[in-house]
Amino acid sequence: MTVSFTLNVNGAATEVSTEPRRTLSDVIREDLGLTGTHLGCEHGVCGACTVLLDGAPVRSCLTLAVQADGHEITTVEGLANGDELHPVQQAMHEAHGFQCAFCSPGFMLSTVALLAENPNPSRHEIREELSGNLCRCTGYHTILDGVEVAIRALASDGASGGGDA
Amino acid sequence: MNERTQTSGLGFVGQSVTRVEDDRLLRGKGQYVADIEPEGVLHAAFLRSPFAHATIRSIDVTAARRSPRVTAVFTAAELNELTNPFPPFLMMPGLYTPLYMCLSDKKVRHVGDPVALVLADSRYHAEDALELIEVDYEQLAPVASIADALSVNAEQVWERADGNVLLDKSDAYGDVESVFASADRIVTERFSCQRQSNQPMETRGSVIEVDPETGHLTIHNATQSSHMLRWLTAALAKKESVRSSLKNFATNKDRRDSFIVAAKEFMAQNGESMQNQDNAGPKSQLRKDRSMLRHLPRTLFGLLGKDDYPTVMARDIGGGFGAKGPVAREDIALAAAAIDLGRSVKWIEDRVENLSDGGHAREEDLTVSLALDNDGTFRGLKVDLVLDQGAYPAFPIGASMATQIMRVMFPGAYKFDAFHLRARTVATNKGKYVAYRGPWANETWARERIIDVAAKALGYTPTDLRLKNMFSDQDMPAAMITGPALDETMSTKKTLEHAMQVVDIDEFRDEQETARAEGRYLGLGFACYHEAAPGPPDYFDSISPGAGTLGTEYARTTIERDGSIVVYTSQMPHGQSHETTYAQIVADELGVGIADVKLVYGNTDRTPFSVMGTGGSRGGPLGGGSVKYSSREVRQQVIDAAAELLEASADDIDIMDGNIHVSGVPARGVSFADVAATVISEGDQPFDATFGYTGKGDGGWSCATHACIVEVDLETGRVDIPRYVVVEDCGPIINPAIVNGQVRGGVAQGVGAVLYESSVYDTEANLQATTYMDYLIPTAMEIPYVEVHHLETLSPGENDFRGVGEGGMIGAPPAITNAIEDALGPFGARVTDQYLPPTKILEMAGIIDPD
Repeated sequence: MTVSFTLNVNGAATEVSTEPRRTLSDVIREDLGLTGTHLGCEHGVCGACTVLLDGAPVRSCLTLAVQADGHEITTVEGLANGDELHPVQQAMHEAHGFQCAFCSPGFMLSTVALLAENPNPSRHEIREELSGNLCRCTGYHTILDGVEVAIRALASDGASGGGDA
Repeated sequence: MNERTQTSGLGFVGQSVTRVEDDRLLRGKGQYVADIEPEGVLHAAFLRSPFAHATIRSIDVTAARRSPRVTAVFTAAELNELTNPFPPFLMMPGLYTPLYMCLSDKKVRHVGDPVALVLADSRYHAEDALELIEVDYEQLAPVASIADALSVNAEQVWERADGNVLLDKSDAYGDVESVFASADRIVTERFSCQRQSNQPMETRGSVIEVDPETGHLTIHNATQSSHMLRWLTAALAKKESVRSSLKNFATNKDRRDSFIVAAKEFMAQNGESMQNQDNAGPKSQLRKDRSMLRHLPRTLFGLLGKDDYPTVMARDIGGGFGAKGPVAREDIALAAAAIDLGRSVKWIEDRVENLSDGGHAREEDLTVSLALDNDGTFRGLKVDLVLDQGAYPAFPIGASMATQIMRVMFPGAYKFDAFHLRARTVATNKGKYVAYRGPWANETWARERIIDVAAKALGYTPTDLRLKNMFSDQDMPAAMITGPALDETMSTKKTLEHAMQVVDIDEFRDEQETARAEGRYLGLGFACYHEAAPGPPDYFDSISPGAGTLGTEYARTTIERDGSIVVYTSQMPHGQSHETTYAQIVADELGVGIADVKLVYGNTDRTPFSVMGTGGSRGGPLGGGSVKYSSREVRQQVIDAAAELLEASADDIDIMDGNIHVSGVPARGVSFADVAATVISEGDQPFDATFGYTGKGDGGWSCATHACIVEVDLETGRVDIPRYVVVEDCGPIINPAIVNGQVRGGVAQGVGAVLYESSVYDTEANLQATTYMDYLIPTAMEIPYVEVHHLETLSPGENDFRGVGEGGMIGAPPAITNAIEDALGPFGARVTDQYLPPTKILEMAGIIDPD
């Protein structure tokens, strides 16, 4: 049995026809070819597969693709504006945020969602908000630094009228 | 922040330049193995044993084969008919390494042992078909612990072993008996470390692409060791008779000639180390199991007779920490299936599989006796070590190698008159033991714990007792009692002295006393170590005679016709930022920018050979050295050619920002492309140099002291870490931000090891931690800020870089456990387990009853 529906990912609509049991992460990766979304545990703990659904972070490994029908999905590929990195991506680069970077799409999308809701979180709030994402390489310090670099960049962008997160 | 285009004159080495890797990775454009999807690829799922220990009476795959979306089902017996067994490698005196096949056909030895392989059009359908396979098991008594394994009544995991003991080896240095008889005191304690797991965020995986025309295999794999995977797949994945292999070899002159050239090269590089090998290792093996005599010729002649070896391609890898070093049984099963079907296949391990058999580590019991005099002088050390390797030995470097690194490193930075180690490796019905970031780390944990225990017994402070017994600069050159030479790079004492300046111990003791009065329990713990990174030239051979063959790293630097600089490394990066650090080194050598250097790795058709790939903190010192010296040779080639072009003496040529010119006349300079064009047009070789590097010939120690302050909450048993300090000395630093990242990442895994992580099995050898709800990886909430202080002790000679990848994980468990014992001092607590979850903390404080 297959179901057909429209998946809106990073501003582009794609007609999808799939078995209803397939996860959003599998459909994004396999049917849409957007392999930036990573699968770390496939049981909703590690957060590597985090995408934004109407701006809110969800585990794409625990979400069925059909549940995304009628919603706007953002994946890591949707962050940069052409050659220009998203302020969160640029900040992670400057702060040496990641090492193997397998976890990075989930961290960056969680960060984008966090800063949209609270543009100036404290270090403790950042830690708490990002505690749903696991990283095995860094000990987290540089990722938290990266969020703080992004906060400053977005604040100065905001002051000059730019910024899109 | 645009350091990548900084001008070369400033020198990139030593700067925290931002990472070259980041642009593709942060955009989601990295290519990890799961992202590879060849046209028409079949998806694999393995049927795995639900029992820890059982014989297989029968297996029925008929229904699975009938499933419409399934292309093929291989039982273990079918696949084993096509393949050779995993052979023993680096045979050690006293060790028996069981031979094993890619799947298990007669007997299963742990929960998760693979017994059949299904290939279907999607992973969903492959997993559906697993449920259609019927296996009739007859259960055997499980061997679930070190105690079980040492029991004379236990069922045998491997029929030909002595019970379940695979290695029993004793080594003594100095006159152990008389030192222990004459010492004033002997302090003894038994320490126990739980089973842990490396747990990279990306699981293992392999995509095997078959060329429909030629049958050539291209293996995309998350491996730390691409060349070993290539060779082992060639050796094992398609069994050939000795006769047909020999016929192929004899009738193919190209093959014969290339083998002779390769063998000569290998012997020129490794002959000396090979001569150090004795026959004791193979003898130990043959005493237990002579089947090697039947399998090895077929395997080796099979390699000789093959015209075509697979290509291994590894691109971006989501971490490894040692777990992706071994060649997996699944890797060989998949290759054999792909060859048999002539179809591409793909397997991406799931997390349950990874937690079960993706790599376990550290499960060791250590009984340690420290002999010392009343004035605090260390006299001798005796250790009885038992390591639980699980069922199947990892290939190529099994658990027993870790016991021998422990033997060499156990005395640490301290002077002893005598040392004795009995090392045993036992087999149990558990997942396999692999190297995990500082695979020998429990020598540091047990040694640094017993020193704290002894300090308390004698009334010394832990730091005073350490300082009194450490080698200092005045003692150099010296040697560890176990052999390896020490020089000024073994600066552990300096790191401790520095840590004692950073952490004000007196102030802490005041604070501790005040806090205790308020019912808050603070503790301070220190841990000191040095590690071979790469170590002196005698280091590998002191671990196991002949192991020096693992020691060489190669790089090739080329300037292409268009002037672009391409560097090929035998290293296999998986998060360590080689593309950045190597570009820093090359850019400084060649006088160019970082963006001008392209690093090629992971593709065995293009990269130089290495047995090990990335592991053992060798990327900086050995890989970095090979990159430096191959680039330096190429620089000289370029300068010689430019001297002709510019009609000047080679001594007067300088390179700056890619401008090759006569010193002082940059306006009349030429580019790399200009010089390359003249050389090629004249029919000469392009600029090209390969360099094999084994270290600069002495020292090579990387050292650190960790100091940890904990606060233990006796309501909940929770341990907080308000301050964590690392003083490390890895010599001159290539990129401080990257070094800090390595140190902090290692400490984070050490925090997990002590407070959160346990691959715990029940008494029936069922793994109890098969999801991240049970195996707790610490989050940003649990990992403290880690202050990193650097000493940069230099030693004579060039290329003084020392590795730093493993140390964080070596220092953290002893520093944290020492701090916890200190915090629980008022309760007379003695920490003997590495794993200290809240219940254990409350038990040690006498708040809850262990029973």
